Parts: sequence; structure tokens; C-alpha cells
Amino acid sequence: MINFIEILIRGLMLGSVYALVGMGLTLVWGVVGIVNIAHGEFIMLGAYFAYWAFSLLHFNPLLSVALSIPFFFIFGMMIHKRITERLITAHELSALILTFGMSILIWNLAQFFWTNTYRSVPYLTGNFPVWGLVFAKSKTISFGLAIGISIALFVFLKYSKLGKGIRATSQNSEVALVCGINTMKMRAVTFGMGIGLAGAAGAIVSLQWVIFPQMGGSYVSKAFAIVVLGGLGNIQGALVGGLIIGVLESLVTQYMSAKMAQIVPSLIILLILLLRPTGLFKK
Amino acid sequence: MMNLLEKNRIWLAVFILMAFLISVPFFASDYWVALLVLILIFTVYASGWNLFSGLTGYTNFGLAWFIGVSGYVSSLLIADYQWVWLLAWPIGALFVSGVSIGVGYILLRIRGVYFAISMVALTEGTRELFGTGYLEPITHGGEGVPFVAGVRLPILYWSTLLLAFVTLIVCYKITSSKFGLRLMAIREDEQAAETLGIHTTRDKIIAFVLSAFIVGLAGAIHCTYQNYIDPTSAFNIQLTLTPIVMTLFGGVGTVFGPVIGATLFTFIHEILWAELTLLYMAIFGAILMGLILFFPQGLLGWMKEKGILPRSRKI
Repeated sequence: MINFIEILIRGLMLGSVYALVGMGLTLVWGVVGIVNIAHGEFIMLGAYFAYWAFSLLHFNPLLSVALSIPFFFIFGMMIHKRITERLITAHELSALILTFGMSILIWNLAQFFWTNTYRSVPYLTGNFPVWGLVFAKSKTISFGLAIGISIALFVFLKYSKLGKGIRATSQNSEVALVCGINTMKMRAVTFGMGIGLAGAAGAIVSLQWVIFPQMGGSYVSKAFAIVVLGGLGNIQGALVGGLIIGVLESLVTQYMSAKMAQIVPSLIILLILLLRPTGLFKK
Repeated sequence: MMNLLEKNRIWLAVFILMAFLISVPFFASDYWVALLVLILIFTVYASGWNLFSGLTGYTNFGLAWFIGVSGYVSSLLIADYQWVWLLAWPIGALFVSGVSIGVGYILLRIRGVYFAISMVALTEGTRELFGTGYLEPITHGGEGVPFVAGVRLPILYWSTLLLAFVTLIVCYKITSSKFGLRLMAIREDEQAAETLGIHTTRDKIIAFVLSAFIVGLAGAIHCTYQNYIDPTSAFNIQLTLTPIVMTLFGGVGTVFGPVIGATLFTFIHEILWAELTLLYMAIFGAILMGLILFFPQGLLGWMKEKGILPRSRKI
């Protein structure tokens, strides 16, 4: 029983990071209308950001997480203004193929410059016991960070003026434009936020797992499963979806095999799209 | 009269080109024959992708699934059951097109981006499944199967040439037929097409399964050509991506665009791969982005726009 609870909590911790990734993807997809396949590559860049800040500049990794958000926010806005804004009126599949190309470009450049070496940030290693359960320090910190960032995102979207503008753009871009909302700016800000979330998720990931140029792929397939589970553009849905995927992965790894756990996201995507294409929750 | 001459001239050109291509193994070195085999295989991949996705507008990101499933079936038949390659290839292709009827029936209800994602999910899921211990007695797990089919290179080349030739004729016939028009109607507006009495589900599934058969056949030949199969290489996302880039470059929805794209990009691959192994994929990604941003209609589409080629569906 203790073992089961431990696996469950480990799954929730894992899922909180997935949720962060999924929220970024669903935000960009829902508001900007661009399916960003390169999302995983920004996670990889975020992880390398934290890694280089730690090994070259000796930054505290927690500081890197905080710095990664504005850094990747601006990076994302620049990418959107230069590239993806041109595709707003194009067929949605154009953006899909374009970001696919972007993904390949980014991870191969990363591989070229940083090689295929597995790297990690040795910080907060070790465990601590609570009521007979054992937790890794880094994962607990990650969990706190991920949940904190999620809450900040909810509050921002719900109460700030910019957040209201973003939600209006997502509901009906044309009406929002008529009401005096600068939808082009809203899209750029949202794209930046999505990339910022991916960067932060990457910096958090670097605390607990190895970093390598192709790491983005596995996150992006989970992120798609999360978006499909939670419903397109549904941030709360993405949080819950992320936790579900994390717990499922943890359980399947424990009771079946790690290889089988890799199939879980694909299976969820197929099942949900067939049985309940609007996601688990009504919007 | 003029028209007849024009038509005959084209057929004469086709005849001379075919005669030349058939005679290649008699004078060229093995390197060139092998390169031509790759060009032809990718021509078939690209045309097969274009046949379904170019016409219906349903972006198929699961081309590697066709290739991998058919490649696995045929390779395992050759490796474990000592089947003749000539029999194993069509069985692999028939198997994948049979499964595609079910897959198409289920997945083709999903539109747009979701269809693309579900095909990626299917490919990734199948790849992982083929590498797990559960299927190891059949697929030999993740480490792959080396095998020798005993087919000589010229024979392999002529088979691929025949396949590519037949594929192009099929694509030409379909694009200029009413069936092709119905598929294009689905691409432009599926609901409108349905209101006009087009049985959209049936037509989509037929095109999907036909595409699966053609690509599956080429996939089986590809695996035999490599004498080796494993889940990572057979279900590699690059096998999906490369034909898409080739088709985009040549012109989506055109008959001969994929051929031009496949020929050009296989050469580019050959040169870049040797010179810039590490940056090759990055350049590929950049080309893909550039094509979407600045050249979305493709080479043939552009030539039709400029009036260099007639605006005909048949090209």
C-alpha cells in the first residue's frame, strides 16, 4: 500500500511538469491557432539554458528557472513576429509542417553544437523521508515550482487586463479586434508565454533528468496527449490531463514495463480522439 | 492533327526515357543503380503520399507506419519463413492496406490537425510496440533483423522501376478522373462535397488504402534493399518527413511534382550527407520552413501560375 501511494505521488510530481508543457502547447494552439510541434525543442533549449547557466556561470538552478521564463518569453515573441504570424491566415496544416521543420532544425543544431552527450545538473541530489515514504528532493522542488507557475498562469489569465485580452482573442479573434483589442499583440504575447512555459519546464526538467538534444520529442508526444485529454485551449484541462498522464506513466512503468509506458500517450491520443474528441471536460 | 502529334511526341519521350532507365544497369556502375533505386523508392513514397494527402487535404503524418508495417511483414516472411521476395513484397503491402481499411475507417473521421497527430501517435505507438518484449517472439524486439533476400541489384532496380512507372500511371489516371475530382472536392470543402452527394467516407478510405498499398510495396522493397529492419529505422519519422518535403517542393496535388522533388532531394541528400553529415538534418528542417513560408505552391504550381505550364490537373 505504501508502495502504491509512493508511486501515485511520484506520478503526480512527474505529471506536474508534463502539465506545464501541455499548458504551453494548448495555450498557443487555442489562442494563436498554431500547432507548435517544435514545442518540445524549446523544452530542450530550456534545459540547456539551465545547464549552461549552472556549469559555466554557476547559477543556482532555481534562479535559472526564474530567468528562463522572461528569456524564452522574449525569444518566443520574436519567433512569432518574424515567422509564425505570417501563417495566421494560411491553412492550419502549413503551420504544422513549418513547426515540424523548425523542430528538426533546432534539435539538429543543438546536436551539432552540443553533441549527443548526456548531461545533467547535479543539484539537490538525494532523498528525504516523510511518514515512511521516500521522495527525491529535486522532484519535490520541481513539483512545487510547476504548481506555482501553473497557479500564476491561472491568476494572470483570469484577472489581468492582458489575460482578459488573450481570452477574448481566443474566443473570437474578429470580435476582439472590433472591440479594440490588439489581437496581433495578444497572439505574440501568447506565443511568447507558451514558449516561456516550455523554457521553464525545460529548466525544471534539467533538475531531475538527463539532458540531450533529442529529449524534446518524448515531451511533445505527451503534450499532445494532454491537449487532447484536456480539450483544446483548456488550461485547467491541461493541468488535470498532465497529472493523469504522469500518474498513468508511473503506474504502467511500475506494473508493466518502461517500454509500455512509452505507448501510453499514443494510446490516449487515439482513444480520446475516437471516443470523446472534445476532451474529458466540457469547455 | 496537331494535337495527335503533340500527344505522340509526349509518348515518344516517355518511351525513350523508359528505354534509357531500363538499360541503366547494363552500362552504369552499381553506385548509380543503387542511387536510382533510392530515387525511385522515394518517388513512390512521395507520389503515394500525394495521392491521398495532396488530393484530399488530409495531411498524413503516418507514412512511416505504412512503410514500417509492410516492411516488417515482408522482411519477417523472408527472414524467418524463407519466402521468395517476389511473394513477400505484395503480401506485406496487402497486409498494410488491409489494416489500413480498419485504420482509415476509424481515423478518417478525425479532421485536420487531429488526423495528422493521430497518425503520428499510431506510428510512434506501433514502433514502441514492435520493440517491446510482448511482441519479441514475432518481431525479434528492438535490436532488429538482418536478412538476405537473395535478389540481385539489377532485378531490384527493375522491380522498383516498374512499381514507380505503374504508380505514376495510377496517379495520372486518378488525378484526371472523376474519382480524383471528388477527392479534390473533399479537400476544398468536405461538407459541401457531402451535400453534393459525394460519399466522402468511402472515397477517402479508398484513396487512403490505395496510398497504403503503393507506399507499402515501396517500403517492402526499401527494407529488402537495406537487408535489415528494426523498429527505429522502419518507423523513422524521417521516412514520413522526406516524401512530404519532396512533394511540397514539386507541388502538392500535382502528378509529376513528387517525381521532380524525389529526384532532386535524393541527389541533395547524397551530396549533403557525404559532405555535412551533422548539419544535414538541420539544413533539411530549414528548407522545409523556407518552402512553407516562401514557396507554398511548389515548383509545378509556380510554373502553372506563371504560365510556363498549362493549368491542367493532368500535370
